[in-house]
Amino acid sequence: MIERRHAAALAFVALGAASLLAQDGQWPMYSGSYDSHRFSPLTQITAANVARLRPVWAYQPPGTGSIESTPIVAGGVMYVTSGPTMVAALDLRSGKPLWEWTRPIAASVLNLGFPRVNRGVAIRDGTIYVGTLDGYLVALDAKAGIERWSVHVGENPTGHAITAAPLVVDDKVIVGISGGEAGIRGFLDAYDAKSGKPLWRFWTVPSPGEPGSESWPGDSWVHGGGATWLTGSYDPALRLLYWGTGNPGPDWNGDTRKGDNLYTASLVAIDVDTGKPRWHFQFTPHDVHDWDANQIPLLVDAEIGGRPRALVVTANRNGFFYALDRRTGAFVYGTPYAKQTWAKGLDDKGRPIEIPGMEPSDKGTLVYPSLQGSTNWASPSYSPATGMVYVPVREMGSVYFKTPTEYRPGTYYTGGSEKRLDEESWGAVRAIDAKTGKKAWDFALPSPSWAGVMSTAGGLVFSGSNEGNFYALDAASGRPLWQFQTGGAIRSGPMSFLVGDKQHVAVAGGHALFVFALSE
Amino acid sequence: MRRTIVVVALLMTAGGARGAAAQPRATPPARRAAASPSSDASAGRQIFDAQCAWCHGNEGDGGTGPNLHGRLRHATTLASIVDIVTSGIPGTDMPSFRSPLTERSIRQTAAYVQSLSRASARPSRGNVEHGTALYEQNGCASCHVIDGRGGILGPELTAIGSRRGAAHLREAIVKPAASHPPGYLVVRAAPASGPEVRGIRVNEDVFWIHIRDASGAVHTLQKSDLKSLDREIDASLMPSYASRLNDPDLDDLVAYLSTLRGTR
Repeated sequence: MIERRHAAALAFVALGAASLLAQDGQWPMYSGSYDSHRFSPLTQITAANVARLRPVWAYQPPGTGSIESTPIVAGGVMYVTSGPTMVAALDLRSGKPLWEWTRPIAASVLNLGFPRVNRGVAIRDGTIYVGTLDGYLVALDAKAGIERWSVHVGENPTGHAITAAPLVVDDKVIVGISGGEAGIRGFLDAYDAKSGKPLWRFWTVPSPGEPGSESWPGDSWVHGGGATWLTGSYDPALRLLYWGTGNPGPDWNGDTRKGDNLYTASLVAIDVDTGKPRWHFQFTPHDVHDWDANQIPLLVDAEIGGRPRALVVTANRNGFFYALDRRTGAFVYGTPYAKQTWAKGLDDKGRPIEIPGMEPSDKGTLVYPSLQGSTNWASPSYSPATGMVYVPVREMGSVYFKTPTEYRPGTYYTGGSEKRLDEESWGAVRAIDAKTGKKAWDFALPSPSWAGVMSTAGGLVFSGSNEGNFYALDAASGRPLWQFQTGGAIRSGPMSFLVGDKQHVAVAGGHALFVFALSE
Repeated sequence: MRRTIVVVALLMTAGGARGAAAQPRATPPARRAAASPSSDASAGRQIFDAQCAWCHGNEGDGGTGPNLHGRLRHATTLASIVDIVTSGIPGTDMPSFRSPLTERSIRQTAAYVQSLSRASARPSRGNVEHGTALYEQNGCASCHVIDGRGGILGPELTAIGSRRGAAHLREAIVKPAASHPPGYLVVRAAPASGPEVRGIRVNEDVFWIHIRDASGAVHTLQKSDLKSLDREIDASLMPSYASRLNDPDLDDLVAYLSTLRGTR
């Protein structure tokens, strides 16, 4: 029964236009596929045998710090990154590096508002694409790790940096930018995959006269934020990119930017050929809690009210789970999925009905969720087999403070701080029905999660914990079936691939990448 | 419910290190004139009340963070105070304020802190010698280490006087449950079979928990073997000494603890 359901799910996925899945045992891009499901179609590892999962090798890159990367596997090689900007090509059987490429990053290179990390690469036609902490997009020869070209994306002295994995669509490399705490004006760029020639730029904050500019008083748009610091999703049939945008600047002091502050804290659908926005949906108008909307959106086809719907669903940092029509951006439904105390709910267009007095203040305002949100950059997963979205959840509140601020290039432009309610916080992998937004089950964690999630056609959900556990859950019930202590906090996304005909699973814990397979 | 609150000044998009545990203050700070107020120091005082008093106490009298009156442990000049407010102190609970405060605000805050440090330390109300005797007589050393000697159940006190203010120390003796530091969370585990275990959480992950009970024994428990596991956020293994020590005795004991600066 269960296996038949999985077989049906595989057929569904294989036919779905938005899916470009790793049927051949690869994991060809950061989120596994353009729909960002992080759903592995591999079925060897199941609830019945996952107890036999054992480490087969580990890899520790040069340098120090956590690995926050999701590896890709393509052409029989794994490509994984580490901070500040380092790429390794690894042999799948031995874990030994075929090459390691490290970009020299001086201590003076700015990372305002995020750690000195890199979260992954993209691949196309024998070339690896990686963003750098000092604001470049670099193309490397996939066989040798030698630089083919690089292009300057953003000025690091003003806080621009790249930590996200690029996304390749046809002959274009799409790359986002970090710097929302430094008062950058956010953008999303496309470059020619062969030459690095700039093709288009979409500014996430419109300039005067453009649609949306009325939501920014005076020249507040110039440092309006809206960073694009995580990878987006793509629908090949509609030729639309779906990219989340970050907080407006300054983060917690909105006095100088009265208005909705478009297109910050939004999801924007962008024509991949022109870079023009098709539609936008703003989750948190005039955000003053740093609730970025960069969480990776999931492109889901589901029947709602008897109608097949092409949806984009996302668990937002602001505590609400949303489903939108991915052709039009129309609001389909939205519902709280974690503790939140700032909104009574959403209106019929999906706009929050805010509770007065929840803004940051001089003496502090207690609000749930915390600045880090009900979820953050750790990737969710969607299983077509169960119809559930699996979200890494952070249950935590904060006291939010507002302070005066002024823009100075290359410094923080935040206007506040938080005091976290740490002891009462906890985390979970939360299963949410994609058709309704209702919770199906929780797998509780001792602390708010930073670990990505992967679901599989083997009926499993893999994720990790700050406490170092890498574990497998039953996708239908959330029951734990297996775990391995990696010895370091897991702040990365699990993925799965074939070595020969044998399924493997990989995840980074602390400063090491671990690869697992079933013992004989 | 009382909450332990963690100060995080530098963490936006992707999390980071933990900051200082602090006791929120329900009452606004009293307004006494700071010593040698300059215009910077006056402006800095407002910032201090909002951003710093959570840990350093109203008027810098100390709380979960050090008393800032008298000689500062990590800074001697205005520039070094600016450095500390800007970057924090690695290895301590003092976070960086580079993100929430502008350079000007940091300079003003530092000027106020310097004015506090130039004021003479408030005289201790207690008798240190008698406080030392009370520490011995009440068996504090059975749970706390000072200069390498003592029991391990409670936090080490060798340098407690440089890290905690007098008011906080007094509260910790009278209401230990309201003042326990991070790392001393009390948990109660009920195994499916065998006796209940209550003690300090030594470590916990998704599947295992380690608990040190009142005898000092560490129990390694698999969560799947437990009927229940409760975090007692408002509890402490330390008894209250409110009924055992009168007010002058408490002053004396706090005076003694305040002398412990880790200078050995």
